[in-house]
Amino acid sequence: MSTIAPQFRLSRFVASLFDIIFWVILIFSLVGLPIVFIILFYIKLPVINNQLMTPYLAMTWMADPSETLPIIKNLIHTTFFHVLAFPGFGFAALLAAATIFVERKFLAKIQLRVGPLYCGKVEGILQLMGDGLKLISKEIIIPAKADKPIFWVGPLLFVGTAGAFVSLIPVARGWVVANPAVGLLAVFATIGFFPIISVLTAWAANNKWTFIGGLRALHQMIAFEIPLILSLLSIVIMTGTLNLSQIAESQQHYWWIVFAPISAIVFFICILAELERIPFDLPEAESEIVAGWLTEFSGMMYGLIQLGTYLKLYAFAGLFTVLFLGGWNGPMVWPPFPADIVTQGITIGPITAKIAGLPLFDQDMLNGTLWFVIKTVGVILLILLPRGVFPRIRIDMLLHTGWYKLIGLAFINIFIALGLLYAGVLGPGGLIQ
Amino acid sequence: MVDAVFLALSVLTIGSAIVALEIRSLIYGSIALMLTLSGIAGFFLLLDAPFVAMFQLSVYVGSIAVLILFTVMLVRRELIFNKIEDKRRRYAGIGLMLALMLGIGMIIIGSGMKSIETNSPSVDYKKIGEDFLTYYSPALIVMALILASSVVGALTLARREDMTNDQRAD
Repeated sequence: MSTIAPQFRLSRFVASLFDIIFWVILIFSLVGLPIVFIILFYIKLPVINNQLMTPYLAMTWMADPSETLPIIKNLIHTTFFHVLAFPGFGFAALLAAATIFVERKFLAKIQLRVGPLYCGKVEGILQLMGDGLKLISKEIIIPAKADKPIFWVGPLLFVGTAGAFVSLIPVARGWVVANPAVGLLAVFATIGFFPIISVLTAWAANNKWTFIGGLRALHQMIAFEIPLILSLLSIVIMTGTLNLSQIAESQQHYWWIVFAPISAIVFFICILAELERIPFDLPEAESEIVAGWLTEFSGMMYGLIQLGTYLKLYAFAGLFTVLFLGGWNGPMVWPPFPADIVTQGITIGPITAKIAGLPLFDQDMLNGTLWFVIKTVGVILLILLPRGVFPRIRIDMLLHTGWYKLIGLAFINIFIALGLLYAGVLGPGGLIQ
Repeated sequence: MVDAVFLALSVLTIGSAIVALEIRSLIYGSIALMLTLSGIAGFFLLLDAPFVAMFQLSVYVGSIAVLILFTVMLVRRELIFNKIEDKRRRYAGIGLMLALMLGIGMIIIGSGMKSIETNSPSVDYKKIGEDFLTYYSPALIVMALILASSVVGALTLARREDMTNDQRAD
C-alpha cells in the first residue's frame, strides 16, 4: 500500500492508460490529421532525388535508415533550422547557458570560493538546470500599480531583440541566419532598441529603484553607443563593406586587430558598458538600488531577461570575433571525412551498411565553427574576467569615459585606418592583399 | 506578398500615428510614435533601400524617440504641454491636413514620379557615398559645418561654470 496514493489499484491505472491512448488516437485522426493536410496543402514541398516529398514518402524513407540522411540534410539547409537550431537561437542559447554556469565557477575560482558544488555531485554541474526549474516554477508577481501591458511585453521584447542581434552573427562560411548587405548597420539599429526596452520596463514597474536603474541604463547605453559605432568605422574603412560575412572573409591572412588595436580596446570597453557588466553595472547596482531596472521582475520574466542578457553577451562576443579576430578563419584542424565510408559503406561483421549522403556537414563548415567557438569563448571569458576583479565605478566617471575619452580614442584609429588606406598598404591594389 | 506587407505597414504606420496624436498617456503616445517611425523604416525596406531603413531605425527610433521618451518621463506634463482643445481647432486641423495632403499628392502625381522604372536594381550604398564625395560634396561640407556648429553650440549650452574640474576627480 502506497502512502502517496492510498486508493491506488493497478487495474484502474492500466485502464486509464488505455483510455488516454484511445482518446489520443481518436483526436489525432479526427482533428490532427486534417490539420496536417491543410498545412501541407499550403507549404511548398521539396523535391528530393527527383521525387516530390509527400508525408507518406517521408515516413517510408524514415523506416529505411539509408534514406533518412538526405531528409536530415535537406532539413539542415532550411531557414527553419537556421533560425531555431544551428547558427540561430538554439546554438546561441546553448552557449549562453554554458556561459552562466562557467561564469559562476570561474568567478568563484578567482575569488578563492568553490561556487556551485552540491547540485549534480560533480562540481555542481546541474546547478543551472535547478535554477531554471526554480525560475519556471516561481510565481510571477506584478506590482499592483504597474503599467501591465508594457511590463508584460518588456521581457519578451528584450529576448526578441537579443535574438535579432544573434541572427546577424555569421558562424561559419555561409552559416548565418540573416545576411543583409548592411549587416553592421543592422547591428547598430538592433542595439538601439535595448535602452528603450529597459527604460520603458523600468518606468512601467512603478518603483523608484527600477526607474533610477532604467535611467542609468539609458544614460550609459546612449553614451557608449557612439564610441561603439565610431570604433567599428575603422574596420569598415579598411574592408570597404558593411556585410559581416565579407568582413570575416577579408581576414583570411591577418586579423584586423593587428591594424586596429585601439578600436578593439574601445569596442571591448563599450561591450562591457552595453552589457551592464562590472565595472559598468550601475543600472543593476545591487548594493545601491536593489537590482536596478530588474527589481520587480520575478519568476520566468526575470528568467527571460537573463536569457536575453546572455544571448546579447554571446552576440557581442561573436561580433568582436567576426570584426577583429578573423571570424571563422583558422588553420584546418578538423580531420576530413573518411572516404571509405562514402564509397564502401560501414562494415560491422558480416553486415555492410551503405549510407547515402553521409558527410552531413562539410569539413570547411565544421572547422570554421570550431574556430569561431574557440575565439568567441575566449572573448566571453575576457568579458567575464573584470567581474571578479574590479569595483563599480561612479556615474560621472562612466559618462566622462564614454563621451570624452573613448570617442577621442576611437577617432585615432579611424585616422590610422585612413592613413593605411591612402599610403597604399591596405585596400585594393595595396601592399597587403 | 509585397502588397500585403505594404498594406500591413500602412495600417501600422498611419494607425500608430493617429494613436500618437490622440492617446492621453504621453508614454503610450511616444511608443506609438516609435511604431510609426519603425513602419517608415519598413517602407524603406520595401523600396529596396536597406541603408536608409537601418539609419531610420538607429537614428529615429534609437535616438530621437529615446530623447522624446526621456523628456516625457522627466519633465512634468504642464511644463511641456499647454493643451487647448475645442471642436473648431480640431476640424481646422483636419482640414489643413487634408489640404496639405492633397497639395503634396498633386505635386507628386504631377512630377515625373509615375514614369520611374520600378524594376531597376536597388542602388548600392557605395554609390551613394561616391555621389556624396564627388557631385554633392558642397552639400556634404555644408552639412558637416552645420553639424559641427550645433555640436559646439550644445557643448556651450551644457557647460557649467559652477563646477570646477578638480571636483570631478577621476
